[in-house]
Amino acid sequence: MELQPGKFYVLRGENGAGKSTLLRMIAGLSEPTEGSITIFSLPSRDARARMGYMAHAPLLYDELSGMENLRFFARLYGIPSDAPLQDAIRRVGLDPALPRRVGQYSQGMRQRLSLARAIFHSPELLLLDEPFSNVDPESAAEIARLLGAMRSAGATILLVTHQVGLLASMADEFLLLSAGRLVDRGAMRGVHT
Amino acid sequence: MTTPGMSLSIAKLTANNVRKDLRLEWRSRDVLNSMLFFAGLVVIIFSFTVEPTAEESRRIAGGLIWIAFLFSTTMALNQSWARELRNGVLDAYRVAPAPPEAMFLGKCLANFLFVLMLECLMAPLFVIFYNLSAVGPAWQLVIIFLLGTWALVVNGTFFAVMSIRTRSRELMLPLLLLPVSIPAVVSMVTATTLVLSGEASPAAQIKLLAVYCVVYTTACLLLFETVLNAE
Amino acid sequence: MNKNLFFACSVIVAGLLGYATYLALKVAPTEATMGDVQRIFYCHVPAAMTGFTMFFVNFLASVVYLWKRSARADALAVSAAEVGVVFCTVVLITGPIWARYAWGKWWVWDMRLTTTLVLWLLYLSYLVMRRSSEAGSTAVMAAALAVFAFLDVPIVYMANRWFRTNHPQPMIGTSSLDPQMAHVLYINMLAFFLFGCLIYWFRYGLERTAQKVAAIHVRRAGVGTTAMMALPAMFFLQFQPPPPHHVDPHVYLYGAYFAAWTIYFLYLLLLSNRLFKLKKEEAELH
Repeated sequence: MELQPGKFYVLRGENGAGKSTLLRMIAGLSEPTEGSITIFSLPSRDARARMGYMAHAPLLYDELSGMENLRFFARLYGIPSDAPLQDAIRRVGLDPALPRRVGQYSQGMRQRLSLARAIFHSPELLLLDEPFSNVDPESAAEIARLLGAMRSAGATILLVTHQVGLLASMADEFLLLSAGRLVDRGAMRGVHT
Repeated sequence: MTTPGMSLSIAKLTANNVRKDLRLEWRSRDVLNSMLFFAGLVVIIFSFTVEPTAEESRRIAGGLIWIAFLFSTTMALNQSWARELRNGVLDAYRVAPAPPEAMFLGKCLANFLFVLMLECLMAPLFVIFYNLSAVGPAWQLVIIFLLGTWALVVNGTFFAVMSIRTRSRELMLPLLLLPVSIPAVVSMVTATTLVLSGEASPAAQIKLLAVYCVVYTTACLLLFETVLNAE
Repeated sequence: MNKNLFFACSVIVAGLLGYATYLALKVAPTEATMGDVQRIFYCHVPAAMTGFTMFFVNFLASVVYLWKRSARADALAVSAAEVGVVFCTVVLITGPIWARYAWGKWWVWDMRLTTTLVLWLLYLSYLVMRRSSEAGSTAVMAAALAVFAFLDVPIVYMANRWFRTNHPQPMIGTSSLDPQMAHVLYINMLAFFLFGCLIYWFRYGLERTAQKVAAIHVRRAGVGTTAMMALPAMFFLQFQPPPPHHVDPHVYLYGAYFAAWTIYFLYLLLLSNRLFKLKKEEAELH
């Protein structure tokens, strides 16, 4: 399966089809049992700096504040200053101060913080696992617009979601997975699962 | 495109991790308090059960102190990755471009400081309860404690990561740690006893501890990424 | 695994083992100070040598696994560790039985015994860890642990140099070992080493089978192994009961041999059991 840079792909399929697993493999977290994965002509583990991954779970330290979390992970990406972080926070629609501990955030806020972490280093490839699942419709539309803007700026986006309608106009291609195999790809063909 | 000014030096990343761990420890002080209380209890219980004279105590205190430290260290190490596990954060680490060795070193240093703190509490209690006084040069004890603690912590942190992918996690850590640590523990105990009783110089034991620390720190650093990504 | 080759080897090894045991118990000259109980030596030392060799093989296989990630290397590693632990158990049981009679103590913290005990613990923890790890990560983690375990060996050796040693000094290769005894020892070492290799071969085959669930050759090899188990027993049953005034040392002597062979037998029983389970699984799959 080959993906073109600068395009917006949506992964669909019923539960258990293997969408999250595929995303994990591309992110370098799992090894495929057969075959190999290359990103920008590199094995997935070498492309980490140019990749942003947002998992289904927020993966944040509950005991630290939102800003402390972001700052900590930003250092792991070699980002020394706060400016890109502030930018990312604003773009996902959160209040830049973020003083409270993440444990006290709502699900939606945690999700958006996780998204901020995925984009603060301006990655060329963005992997998102159900970014809209706990977010209200207006925020979901905002996030979709944000992703569209990133795609226009040259990033490649690979997204797993059940809410296809939201992305009907923005996505370049839909990939349908079933039982671990790619069964169909192409532009949107009506609203059906 | 990468952000300008990107730096992924191991030293800075390690410091980053240590800071994060210390901050987390400080925020959840209940864990800290329980550990300190537990360490104190261990010393007191030992003192109840074994009541030697001053001469005898110098001979056996070395062994008792290190058994008590081993207990407490194992308990502390079991906690070491607990927060990462609870929040599921390890995946976020693995996806980041930072070399995992930095995370490991950071965790080791944080654990090392934590265990040293426990030892600083327990050692004076031992001195009091056993009326200990060192016949040999006491400054050597400092070296022995530092090397010995690092030997336990570096392997313990490594095996704690391994235990994450096993059933009965809390049991797996001591099970893996203790056999590998036997030569180090033997050296620690012998060295401590030699210094306390003033019989001979613990130079050979200290050398062995140093060798052990170098060998295993290297092994841990080289194999950490492999074990972290074993899926 | 060629079944005919395996069967032929089993018969040869069984014969060699029987001959070696006969030499050890009847032909070798009686040692001056310790008497007949010293004959445990011919069972104890070869077991130690085979066990340690197996651990070394485990180390090599683990390094290869970390480098190449081949399932074959992993099978070699786990088989070596298991067989090594079995032989080490024999060392740790025959040793104290011998020591109790020769020096009055069941256990002393001397260099060789301690090293063996530590090795035994290390590889036992290796096997336990393999069993409780989640599937998919087992081989990699076990290989890493194996490297750690083997790195400990020279360190344990260095640490033990400070222990007083009651252990008999090595007589192998020096002129202080009676040439007749040396001859018997070498034959026993060869016999037990080949025995170890044979079990290792069988265990490796089992592991590959478990990896592929293709039990055909292994099933047939199991027959050869079972046959092999019977042969040394025949030599055993030929020994006359000892004369009454020598009762004490021989109780220990035969006790040690009995213990050793029980361990080998139990392990082979365990492997055969696993074999039958795999056979059943394979039948269900077809």
